[in-house]
Amino acid sequence: MNWNILLQQILNGISLGGVYALMAVGFGLIFNVLKFSNFSHGGVVTLSAYIGFFLSQHLLPSFLVTFLLTAVAGGLAAVTIERLVFRPIRRKGYPVSMLIVNSITVAMLVQQFFAVTLGSDYYTYPVFIKETALHLGNLTVSKIYLLMLGISAVVLGGLSYVIRKTKIGIAIRAVSSDISTPSLMGVNVDFVISVAFFFSGVLGGITGYLLGMAFTVDPFIGSMILKGIIASIIGGMGSILGGVIAGLLLGAAESLLIAEIGAALTPIVIYGAIIVLLLIRPQGIAGKIAEVKA
Amino acid sequence: MFYLKVLEITSLYTILVLGVYLMTGLTGLFSLGQGAFVSIGAYTAAIAYMNFGAPFPLALALAVIIGAILGFLVGIPTLRLRRDYFLLVTFCLSEMVRAALLYLSQLTGGALGMAGMPKRVGLPLILGSIVVITFITYSLKRSRFGRDCIAIRDDELAASMMGINVYAHKIKVFMISSAITAYGGALYAFNILFIEPNLFNWLESAKLIIITFVGGLNSIAGVIIASTIYYSFGEFFRFIDVWRDVLLAVVVVLVIIFRPGGLLQGLELLPSKLRAMRRGR
Amino acid sequence: MEILRVEGISKHFGGVVALEGFSMVQQENQITGIIGPNGAGKTTVFNLITGATPVDHGSILFMDREITKLPAHRRADQGIARTFQNIRLFRNLSVLDNMKVAHDMKVLYTLWEEMLRLPRVGKQERRIDEKARHFLAYLGLERFGDQKPHNLPYGIQRRLELARTLMTEPRILLLDEPAAGLNPHEVRSLMDTIRKIQEDNALTIVIVEHHMELIMNICSLIHVLDFGKKIAEGEPAAIKENEQVLQAYLGEEV
Repeated sequence: MNWNILLQQILNGISLGGVYALMAVGFGLIFNVLKFSNFSHGGVVTLSAYIGFFLSQHLLPSFLVTFLLTAVAGGLAAVTIERLVFRPIRRKGYPVSMLIVNSITVAMLVQQFFAVTLGSDYYTYPVFIKETALHLGNLTVSKIYLLMLGISAVVLGGLSYVIRKTKIGIAIRAVSSDISTPSLMGVNVDFVISVAFFFSGVLGGITGYLLGMAFTVDPFIGSMILKGIIASIIGGMGSILGGVIAGLLLGAAESLLIAEIGAALTPIVIYGAIIVLLLIRPQGIAGKIAEVKA
Repeated sequence: MFYLKVLEITSLYTILVLGVYLMTGLTGLFSLGQGAFVSIGAYTAAIAYMNFGAPFPLALALAVIIGAILGFLVGIPTLRLRRDYFLLVTFCLSEMVRAALLYLSQLTGGALGMAGMPKRVGLPLILGSIVVITFITYSLKRSRFGRDCIAIRDDELAASMMGINVYAHKIKVFMISSAITAYGGALYAFNILFIEPNLFNWLESAKLIIITFVGGLNSIAGVIIASTIYYSFGEFFRFIDVWRDVLLAVVVVLVIIFRPGGLLQGLELLPSKLRAMRRGR
Repeated sequence: MEILRVEGISKHFGGVVALEGFSMVQQENQITGIIGPNGAGKTTVFNLITGATPVDHGSILFMDREITKLPAHRRADQGIARTFQNIRLFRNLSVLDNMKVAHDMKVLYTLWEEMLRLPRVGKQERRIDEKARHFLAYLGLERFGDQKPHNLPYGIQRRLELARTLMTEPRILLLDEPAAGLNPHEVRSLMDTIRKIQEDNALTIVIVEHHMELIMNICSLIHVLDFGKKIAEGEPAAIKENEQVLQAYLGEEV
């Protein structure tokens, strides 16, 4: 394989890796706050992909408007899910396992709902950008991929700023490190959790829109969350920077492997590598192992 | 004939649910990879029988052994970590096995799957298996092993302070569960007579977990009832069959919020308990 | 006879020092107290001795054997038992099963026998059941055997935790604030219970406690911690007079 092809593959991979990073961070945000694996994030992605499709195809074919509307819709969907299925459990003080079961159930609900109602068709977004490629020397970059990468970078940069610098971001971090103390200090924990779900949902909405735009929409598009989860594990569960690096790495690795050993063998190698990674470095590339409190 | 078929399929799935009960119900370990163990069991038995001419009982035994070994190998790196890692890695495993089955097409038939097994598994063998597995699970539940499972589910740290080797215990649980699940897969292969890599994806694994919760973590009887209702439901109500999973999801969310102990609230349907209930205790 | 020797153990969490260079020698059949203001590192001492958290530096010897790196369950097997500051009973197990769990490491039947419910399982289960009922009765808890622990009054739960430790066949008991949340009457009865347990079972006991009356009454030796460091060690009478100790406590009140 010559350098040119290699670079080309890495470039393609990184573009998709941006979306993996979005998913990893959206997933990791909730993991950090409530300490459970939120599979319903995949449901939000699927739902948003459909919402984005219907908005752009039937309402108004403007990329910017429908994109923003879908992002907000994703956020609202996540907040609604939190209100309906997670908050009652939290209120009653049930174990975290109940949250996991409900999140898996919601993921299943969304997938099966769309499978039953719209499952037989594939839906394609309108063409916002003519599928032209940019040429950089010998490299070609699809404009859609470039747009995806750009959006991912802006969104994640923005989120990182919000989490580090703003008041609500600090509150989210406080609740993440200890869910009981901030409430003693007058922080409205329920509100903070809602906001965290909103942010996570916005990321999910954007993910759904981008995936729908780049591929076609089907009920199983949310299964792509697996890639985000993997990036989240590699990145160390909930570290934004870790998730971003891992998402990009995963995208690049995947694209290189597909070119080198074929699409059939690639998932085997990648998933095998994850298990090996956990053996060697369970905390991921940027995370810490959480110790159980005695 | 129709009812026989329904009963066979429902019972097959109940075996899978029982496999998951031990680890998810009793021990609180979540695996989204049990579908992979069903596939492993099904393919191991089918390949052993079809490609290597192993006698049927040996093929079943191989499925159980391979299931347990794979459980061991996956458990070693993951069960020492937080529960979520286990959940996520088993999720990866299910995708990995699916990809591997597709890739090893010379052995597995790839996407076309495998067919042509003789029908060696009928209702008597399936029901007999359920009785044996229920007996084993219940025996485990009511003595040391089961106590330790529940202790670990409730509070790992306290359990280790009481002298329980939490890590080793979880590995044992996972091995037994995986062995049962793989056995169920082997029975499936020789009853349905057709297997393909996409048969048991993460959604099927998720359903096994969900049904366990509906039945109740502390009740084997509840879990068997929940499983029987769910898996026979579609056969009797064909007109809404497609909505079955949506309905299940709604039911589960409601059960978990309003009746977290499950349908039977941890009650075991044993002759002694039933008599006590009749006496009005 | 010396039963436990702790040499210069330390624990840091991130940048925070939980415990720094703590040492103690525990004689057999004695009741020792560890006191100090909140956050002084008392519970950390227990967590390090029981293996709940790994030690950063230093070493722990139990019955002349190094156990610093031993996993927690092995230490329990050797005879180190504890209670918890915030009661940690198993919610989904009955009171009786809570007791039995603590004895499970001593069970001799194998997993295979258990799966098939062979006679040896039943025989041992009956023996364990008797033992559990015996210790429940020993602490006056026999009425509660079939209940779930969280349905019981707080004082009873504390007592149950104490009974549970006895099921592990301990040589040393580490009691983490056993008097927390008890009324004065219950505290006095607790003191009697601790003395009784110690004498009847020839046990060594270490108590972490805020309750001064309890500590001064039943301990023969007291260690005082402040900000993760030991500031004093001595008999109750001497500790009462100790300048540094008074200051640490007065400092907390201000």
